[in-house]
Amino acid sequence: MTIYGKCKDRLSPIILAAGLIAGIVSVPAQAKELNIYSHRQAFILNPLLEDFKKQTGTKINIVFASKGLIQRLIAEGSRSPADIILTVDIARLQEYAKKGLFAPVSTPLLKANIPAHLRNPNGLWYGLSKRVRVVAVSKDRVKKGDINRIEDLADPEWKGRICTRKGSHVYNRALLASLVTAHGEAAAEKWARGLVANLARKPQGNDRAQAKAISQGICDVAIMNHYYYFLMKKSKNPHQSKWAKAVNILFTNQKGRGNHINVSGVGLAKHSKNRALALKLMEYLSSKHAQSLYAAVNHEYPANPVVDASAEVLELGRFKSDKLPISAIAKLAPTAQRIIDRVGW
Amino acid sequence: MFADVLKRGRSLHDPVGGWSVTTLILSLILISPFAAIVVTATDNSGGLWSHLMATVFPRYVANTLWLMLGVGVLSLLFGIVTAWIVARFTFPGSKILEWTLLLPATVPAYIIAYTYTDLLEYAGPVQVFLRDMFDWSSASDYWFPEIRSMGGAILVMASVLYPYIYLMARTAFRLTPASYFEVARLHNRNLPFTVDLPLARPAIIAGLALVLMEVLSDFGTVEFFAVETLTLGIFNVWLGMNNLTAAAQIAGMAFIFILALVVIERQARRRQRFNDTSGRATVLPAIPVSGGKAVLCIFLCLLPIILGFVIPVGVLLSFVVKGLAITNIDALLSATVNSLTISLTAAVAVMTIATVMILVTTYKKHPVLKALTTISALGYAFPGAILAIGVVSFAGGVDQVAALLGASNGILIGSVGLLVLAYVVRFQAVGHGAITSGVNRLSPNIMSASFVLGRSFAGSMAVLAPPLLRKSLMAGGILVFVDVMKELPMTLLLRPFNYETLSTYVYQFAKDELLEESALAALTIIIAGLGPVILINASQRNKT
Repeated sequence: MTIYGKCKDRLSPIILAAGLIAGIVSVPAQAKELNIYSHRQAFILNPLLEDFKKQTGTKINIVFASKGLIQRLIAEGSRSPADIILTVDIARLQEYAKKGLFAPVSTPLLKANIPAHLRNPNGLWYGLSKRVRVVAVSKDRVKKGDINRIEDLADPEWKGRICTRKGSHVYNRALLASLVTAHGEAAAEKWARGLVANLARKPQGNDRAQAKAISQGICDVAIMNHYYYFLMKKSKNPHQSKWAKAVNILFTNQKGRGNHINVSGVGLAKHSKNRALALKLMEYLSSKHAQSLYAAVNHEYPANPVVDASAEVLELGRFKSDKLPISAIAKLAPTAQRIIDRVGW
Repeated sequence: MFADVLKRGRSLHDPVGGWSVTTLILSLILISPFAAIVVTATDNSGGLWSHLMATVFPRYVANTLWLMLGVGVLSLLFGIVTAWIVARFTFPGSKILEWTLLLPATVPAYIIAYTYTDLLEYAGPVQVFLRDMFDWSSASDYWFPEIRSMGGAILVMASVLYPYIYLMARTAFRLTPASYFEVARLHNRNLPFTVDLPLARPAIIAGLALVLMEVLSDFGTVEFFAVETLTLGIFNVWLGMNNLTAAAQIAGMAFIFILALVVIERQARRRQRFNDTSGRATVLPAIPVSGGKAVLCIFLCLLPIILGFVIPVGVLLSFVVKGLAITNIDALLSATVNSLTISLTAAVAVMTIATVMILVTTYKKHPVLKALTTISALGYAFPGAILAIGVVSFAGGVDQVAALLGASNGILIGSVGLLVLAYVVRFQAVGHGAITSGVNRLSPNIMSASFVLGRSFAGSMAVLAPPLLRKSLMAGGILVFVDVMKELPMTLLLRPFNYETLSTYVYQFAKDELLEESALAALTIIIAGLGPVILINASQRNKT
């Protein structure tokens, strides 16, 4: 072997390694841009972000992922490019806050736009839309007035007539947490046990699948988020509009504490390098214009009280929502999950 | 005597030295994400275990074991039977079946789960047809198997995972020297059970290992079918109880379980080596069959293809044809380009790294290096999202160091490079399995001979690996390619801003069960996999 050959042989692993490293060096982001980590799909946010871009000329970059963005932020630490975090439920918002990943924000506009029970007392996060966990019942098989309270779903008269998605889904977990707040852990567990005993089938599918099951006669009663009803009703898919037509939507606990709600929300990333611009986006998202745009796209109830829900949603009539500070529900999520494990929901 | 020459050769040049260090570094990089998960797991889980043990944990374990057993057995049946038929017989259509048997590998498990549910649920066409035909009016009038069940999960997972076993087994069956059969025939032995299966065992086991790891780490299918496995439990604990520590502990236990399986298998076949040292690569010619036998062969081969490919693709096509597929073509195109580019890059990276690591450990025979290489190929056993957290934590550490060295924004997180790294960590198992079974068939003398001829280790690898391991390289590389095309959780979490692949594109709609919107993209994943699958088949057909 020649000396050159030997050297080449020794060097080749290093060349290989250097090549690998060269291949992975990233390109830094440019100015007048905002970076969003989102738990909500980009296609739902796009109408809003396009509008914001038109107003301010800001280019917006998104990473959407439903799980693990918290860990990505932690791993990035102070180098994180993220400016804004968007979530679809309260437990996740609270988890970012608990891990110290949000910077506290308080502007007069944000405080005026978002009511106190829908935001963090220290300004760590702000709710943007309300999602109402309603009960859907069969138009044909359930009479008006048969169900008034969410508690009624544990009554034996509904045995074999209820469908839900899995208890461990964030929406159901939050609902159960609201029952823990209202009645205590033992009573909430008793309710969950009763509910599970009444299920027509093993918990499965998403919220739409429950309305579908009612339209197919598998069950008569289901728990779902209200906007799915409208998304199905307006769907271009004829099957989905049929599912929506098969059900009536009921708000529960209207004579008592009100219907349980969850919120989607926003927070400012602690290490945002574009604070001013990011704040502008947060204010925009809470503004009348954006809130009504959003209400029209996804049929959620605007968090800003001066903005009405979409015309279709208003057809359901006004409802009373549970005024429990939304953060209390987030704190009880782990307790609720334990109950879910115990009763096998 | 050869060993002596080799030893002398080593002491003079140490032809493996630099490469051993490379292998060591590579394996440490690949193991680091696991280590990050282990570090997370050593934290305090806040007394969650007594609750888990008393409630859900036994169920998680039992369901996981049943699922692994069911999918394992069914995919072995599908894979081995079809591989053996295709390798040993020719019959009308056998040439076509041979590559169509690989097609189900292109269908992501979460998509097949969606399509089967659409087809077989109460409102699906099958049950509607049955109700019309027999005048049944409601679910209580008849019995129909529930697709969202353990049985359903076993069926759909085995239908798309068996190609791992089929491909490896077929290659092994085809490479079995005819001389072995001649000897067995002289002794009047049952050929499939005395020759075919024992000789193909390493390859079959390599395929089975991939299948079982995939089952263990699957989230999409078990979530959709509401089968409560360990992986589902990991997510309940992580996201429901905000307890990543306990989630990492469960993932770690599953990992140890896989590690134990690997060790048991190694021990069991420690004394068996199959080298064909005759130098005569005569293989058994396939036997022509016709009539009833041919029909049986065709039926047995068609069954898994129908289950794993025709049905899901048919359902997706019906969505597209019905005009319900509302697709943004520009977005779909750019997602397709991203998917193809990154899958190809990852496939090349995995196969290069796997080849280097395995050749070095095979010829260096250093026990520590060998163990590290084996462990580094077990990323497949972690649920993708958990492994992604391990990768992102590791990358955070790298970026921190990079920041100290001047790259203040870090170099890894948010880059396409991190995705490639993640795929290598996850799919190293595929490359490792393919190359190992290839190398096991080589005579150990080949490398030694190359050293004696004065070639360096790198030179020997460069000269010998491509021709001798070509089939294994192609098989592994294409499986990785198809796997990366389908990969979802890691891509979702680790991707750069505004970066869509086909699977993330499908997911954003499928998450809300907007299957129609995602049908065309889902089909594109499958179509993009077809080319490589046909390619791999062509390459496997030609002689070594």
